[in-house]
Amino acid sequence: MTEANATASATARRGATELAVHMEGVNKWYGEFHALKNIELSVKRGERIVICGPSGSGKSTLIRCINQLETIKTGRIVVDGHDLTAGGKNVDIVRQETGMVFQQFNLFPHMTVLENCTLAPMKVRGISRAEAEKTARKFLERVRIPEQAEKYPAQLSGGQQQRVAIARALCMNPKIMLFDEPTSALDPEMVKEVLDTMIDLAKEGMTMLCVTHEMGFARQVADRVIFMDRGEILEMGTPDEFFANPKNERLRTFLGQIS
Amino acid sequence: MLIRPFGWSEFWIIVMAAQWTIALSAIAFAGGGVGGLFIALARVSDSRWPRLLATGFIRIFQGTPLLMQLFLVFFGMNILGFAINPWLAAAVALTLHASAFLGEIWRGCIEAVPPGQREAATALGLRYYNRMRYILLPQASRVAVAPTVGFLVQLIKGTSLAAIIGFTELTRQGQIINNATFSPFMVFGTVAAVYFVLCWPLSVLARRMETRFSRPTAR
Repeated sequence: MTEANATASATARRGATELAVHMEGVNKWYGEFHALKNIELSVKRGERIVICGPSGSGKSTLIRCINQLETIKTGRIVVDGHDLTAGGKNVDIVRQETGMVFQQFNLFPHMTVLENCTLAPMKVRGISRAEAEKTARKFLERVRIPEQAEKYPAQLSGGQQQRVAIARALCMNPKIMLFDEPTSALDPEMVKEVLDTMIDLAKEGMTMLCVTHEMGFARQVADRVIFMDRGEILEMGTPDEFFANPKNERLRTFLGQIS
Repeated sequence: MLIRPFGWSEFWIIVMAAQWTIALSAIAFAGGGVGGLFIALARVSDSRWPRLLATGFIRIFQGTPLLMQLFLVFFGMNILGFAINPWLAAAVALTLHASAFLGEIWRGCIEAVPPGQREAATALGLRYYNRMRYILLPQASRVAVAPTVGFLVQLIKGTSLAAIIGFTELTRQGQIINNATFSPFMVFGTVAAVYFVLCWPLSVLARRMETRFSRPTAR
C-alpha cells in the first residue's frame, strides 16, 4: 500500500466518526448587506468540496469564516471538533490546523520563499529552524519548485508564487485546506500547474474546500459541489448530478454563463 | 560701551551651541520613536479604547502650536508644584510632540501594508505580536524611512522654540551673542547656517530614500 493510500484510508476511517467542518444556522451581515443566510454545511474528513457562484454570492466569506478571518453574527461553526463560537484558544487551534491559499497569493514579499515557509512553523509550532527548513524543502519539492527556495516572491511567476503559497500552508501540517479562488489571478497558462498541485493534494486525502470557477477541477476531484448565490447555498450535490441535472434556475443560468 | 565685535570666538560659541540642539533633537527623536511606536500600534488596534486615546493624543498635538506645548509643559509643571528646568521641559514637550507626529506617520505606513499580508499571517496561526514583528512592521518600516527622516528635519528646526522658555541651545545662544555684539545679521546668519548644515543633508537623504524604497520590487 502506498503512503498516499494509507493516508487516504486512515482519513476515511476517522471520517466515519468525525466531521472536519460543521456549520449550522450561520448568518453574517456587512452593515445592511446579508452576506451569509442560514448556512448549513457539514464536511467530512477527507472530503473535497468545491464552492462556486457569481461574485458577491458569499462563497469567499463562507470559507473565510472557517478560520475566522471573518466573524459571524449568529450560528455555530465547529472545525475539527473545536467550536469557534467559544472563541479564544479554539480560534488559535483552528487557524493552526487549517491552511489557506488566497487569490492574490499573499506571500510575504520581504522574505525568501524558504523564510515564507518556515516562519509560522518556527513561531507558532516552535520547531527548530533546521527542522522547519527540512519540512519546507520537502513541500517545495512536492509543489515542484525546490530550486526557488532562496528567491524572493517578486522574482517568481504567478503560478510559482501560488505553489509557494500552497507549500507555505502545508508546512503547518494542516488537517484542512481552504482555497479562495486560487487560480483567478493567474495568467491562463499558469492555471494548470496550480490545479495539478491541488489535484495531487486531493489524491493524498486532504480535506479541501475550494472556491473556484474551474469546473474541470470540480468534475475531476470534488466529492460535492456547492452553488451559492446572494448569501445562500442553493444547490449541493455530487459533480455528476450537479452538472448533469441542475435543479435550481439560477444555477442553470450560472452554468450557462461560465461554460 | 559694552558692545563687543562679532569675531571668531563669537562664531565658535554659536557653532558649539549646536551640540545642545543636536542633543535635544536626539532625545526627542529617540523618545518620540518609542512613544510613536506605541501610538501607531494603538491607532491600528482592534480594540476601541486604545484607538480613541491615541487619536485624541494625536489630535491635541497636531492641533496646537509646538510653542504652546512647550509653555504648557514648562509653566504647567511648575504651577503643579514640580520644579522643572527648561532642559527637562523642552525634552518632555518635544518627546510628546514627536510621539504624536511619528505615531501618525507610522500608522499610515502600517495601514499601507496590503490587508492580505495580515490575513495570510493570521491564517497561518501567527498571533498579534508575531504578525507585527515579522510581517507588518518590517514592511511598514520600508515605507516609513523617508517620511521619518523628513519629520526629523522638522523636529530639529522645532527645537529652536525651546529658546523661548530659556533653554540655551543654538537659537538662544544666538540671542545672547546678539545682545552682546548687536550684529543681528551676522549672528542669525550664522545660526541659520548651522541649522542648514544640520538639516540639509537629512533632507537629501530623505529624498534619496524615497526614490529607493518606492521601487516596485521588494529588493
